[in-house]
Amino acid sequence: MKQAIFTENLGRVYKLRGGKKEDPRELVALDGVNVEVAQGELFGLLGPNGAGKTTLIKILTTLLSPTTGRAEVAGFDVDRQPEQVRPRINMVSGGESSGYGLLTVRENLWMFAQFYGIPSKIANARIKEMLEIVGLGDRINTKSSDLSTGLRQKMNIVRGFLTDPDVLFLDEPTLGLDVGAARDVRKFIRAWMEESADRTLLLTTHYMVEADDLCDRVAIINGGKVLACDTPANLKHSLQRDALFRLEVSPLNGLSPEIFEAIPGVRKTVHRPRDGRSVLEFILEEENVLAAVMSSLTENDLTVMNLQKREPTLEDVFVELVGKSMSEVEHGGG
Amino acid sequence: MAVGERVFMARGIRKNTGARLFIQTVLARAYPRVIGQQREKSWVFFDIALPMIAVSSYVFVYRAIGAPDDYVGFVVMGGAMTAFWLNVLWSMSSQLYWEKETGNLGLYIMAPNSLMAILLGMALGGMLATTMRALVITVLGSWFFDVNFVVTSYFQLFAVFMLTMVALYGMGMMFASLFLLLSREAWHWSNLAQEPVYLASGFYFPIKSFNFWIAAGASIIPLTLGMDAMRQLVFETGPTLGFASVPLEIGVLTGLAVLFLVGARWLLRYMERLAIREGRITESRR
Amino acid sequence: MAASETIANAGRPVARFWHSFRTAAWLGWQIESNWTDLLVFAIYSIIKPLASSAILVVMYAIITGGNFESPVFPYIYLGNAFYQYVGAIMAGISWAVIEDREHYRTLKYIYVAPLNIPSYLLGRGIARFLTGTISVAVVVLTGVLFLKVPVDPALVNWPLFLVSLLIGVIMLAMMGLILAGITLLIANHVWFLGEGVAGALYLFSGAIFPLEVLPAWLRPVGFAMPITYWLELIRRSLVGQVAEAFPTLAGFSSGELLAILAGMTVLFGTASIFIFRRCDHLARERGMIDMTTNY
Repeated sequence: MKQAIFTENLGRVYKLRGGKKEDPRELVALDGVNVEVAQGELFGLLGPNGAGKTTLIKILTTLLSPTTGRAEVAGFDVDRQPEQVRPRINMVSGGESSGYGLLTVRENLWMFAQFYGIPSKIANARIKEMLEIVGLGDRINTKSSDLSTGLRQKMNIVRGFLTDPDVLFLDEPTLGLDVGAARDVRKFIRAWMEESADRTLLLTTHYMVEADDLCDRVAIINGGKVLACDTPANLKHSLQRDALFRLEVSPLNGLSPEIFEAIPGVRKTVHRPRDGRSVLEFILEEENVLAAVMSSLTENDLTVMNLQKREPTLEDVFVELVGKSMSEVEHGGG
Repeated sequence: MAVGERVFMARGIRKNTGARLFIQTVLARAYPRVIGQQREKSWVFFDIALPMIAVSSYVFVYRAIGAPDDYVGFVVMGGAMTAFWLNVLWSMSSQLYWEKETGNLGLYIMAPNSLMAILLGMALGGMLATTMRALVITVLGSWFFDVNFVVTSYFQLFAVFMLTMVALYGMGMMFASLFLLLSREAWHWSNLAQEPVYLASGFYFPIKSFNFWIAAGASIIPLTLGMDAMRQLVFETGPTLGFASVPLEIGVLTGLAVLFLVGARWLLRYMERLAIREGRITESRR
Repeated sequence: MAASETIANAGRPVARFWHSFRTAAWLGWQIESNWTDLLVFAIYSIIKPLASSAILVVMYAIITGGNFESPVFPYIYLGNAFYQYVGAIMAGISWAVIEDREHYRTLKYIYVAPLNIPSYLLGRGIARFLTGTISVAVVVLTGVLFLKVPVDPALVNWPLFLVSLLIGVIMLAMMGLILAGITLLIANHVWFLGEGVAGALYLFSGAIFPLEVLPAWLRPVGFAMPITYWLELIRRSLVGQVAEAFPTLAGFSSGELLAILAGMTVLFGTASIFIFRRCDHLARERGMIDMTTNY
């Protein structure tokens, strides 16, 4: 099968301002990334903020050079042959403010279509049809500065699909959208992919549900490294051997959740305070270990209010790989 | 039609390339400027009336110190030409910095068009306001201050003006490529390039007043020789105050036009690659 | 300042004014001084004002054959030097609206915060005033050292100079506030409004030529401008006799000029409050506080 995206040992290091000659400050944004995306695949890149997702997209869309390694998109090297790559791609970022506020939705989209060489007649017809599909048909002549954030993002998404690229990059496309709008966007993405087998889409997100729902394969990235890459089902199955339980207990009041990891058979414990309670999620080697956990809870004067056995999610996979939940990584770093 | 029910996106839509894409890009990028000026007409006052008043100040300075009448004409001409210099500085050179700030620069670079086409579109789009400003200052200034024009050759005048514009906008594109690497400094460098250029290029007086080497050095800015030649062609005392002969200045302007256009093409490509290497395309360092 | 203090200040106008002004002054300085290269800043502060003055110096030198002893020259030179304050302060204040609204996109948050908006904008102008002061000093010093501008520190009327300068700066700040109000209602492409208006006022303020040179029907505009009186006072305090060589305001004593300047400052100050309030109200009504219009 043809490869739409290929990276080999891709790395990117940023030099930070304020560094001294003898102690240059650097940030390793990507480190030895190897990714292969087949043509026709909807590929997800899942990771917390600061994991390197956007850096990878910037390299693949020819906006940033790699420091090490190489990457190819649609069969062309992104660093050496950007002019060959660009006619074949497009990108949409979440929360972007592209275009000009004084122009209408139609005018902004027409302008970007021109940059790709699409004749005006064809562009205008596509714009009209696609705006209807995303539910912006009645706002075609509205100035983009008058749109709400969600509608503006829908306009941006249309901008990305308008040029019918061979490879489309979506960087957190549903960021800032309400639930309904996000659902519409996902439907749109799925329909677009299903319509033609030679379209490829790379989607970055930190929403597990989105990656699980949409992607043929998912790469989990953190700290600039790809930790795992497989279908969502396979990734979750890798945890099937473990038992996952979710318990709601009385507040821990300073008790460290790590004490439970000392119990034999407890692989990981994740703690989330919620509404005056503590939610503890356990990854156990086997179900029998639960009894020991319950005893430990009792010994520490914690009351169990709710107990659920769960199927593994991509969040669990992430925890297994990184040792922390995604939100813990975002708040605490690393 | 519900989302996802049917998606009209036939594969293989026709996309222009080459010269057609270049022209499409130029027109598309000019469009927001032109439309913006139609929809927000406050520029008519601020971009024309205010500069007209500022130019008048220099006229009255010359009158206060007893300058010959032709010097008033020099001020009117210089005032008109500032419109083009400011258009190059603010609507072209440093504009890529603003595009970066608003998130459009990455989208422009990622598209298969040429950055030169984008810049040309910006310049053309601003040309309406620029040309109006120059015309109004020339017409009203000449009328208010009783400026006498004695044109010796319309053909040469047209040639000088067009060559000056081509060279000037080529230079602007070269600056724009340098500005790809700058962030907030772009604004300051553009600001810095106003008065020193008015001085060195002799916007309000003949550059012959400077010593030869200063005037020669300043000739790298197309407006220097452009205005010097125009002064010789439209004012009675112009020829006696010219730095070099008009044919020579036309020759130099032609050379500058070629040099800057070729230089712009090369420099834009080089700077774009450098900016991509250093990650300056999408960073926003306010 | 703790949140509780901020809340307490909400009901105390003077404290709120000072808090807003002080915070904005700090912010304005952070923005202005955030140069990646100090050398560029130094060049900018020296070359730009000197070039502006040099245009006039060259124009004068060509026509008069370099007669810098004539009283006309210090009239032009000093008027132009101090006129830089007009652009710096007026532009500095009105520019803050454009910067915060279009570039930093923070204007809406400023409005939502318990700040006094006019004093916030005035505070933002402080940094430009400081950099303007450097420019003025450089130009005056250059004129004294190299162009025989007859400013003798021993003969300068320092009290008159300082008082005139202070009242003048306040007057310019009030005018800047009027422009800031207007800026709230217009698009980004008129970002140069402050400098544009300063350029236009150049004509009417007697900065670089006596008002007598203007056509008779335009002179009343000059007499209605407080900048005219301010520049006259500055020139009188710095070069005394030379300034008196021009008949324009010779009939007024320095005290009378000060009184006129102070009165006009109060007038502009009052007008600025009303105009700003009106513009502010219109901007809110039209939803323009958070608009972005760059194209």
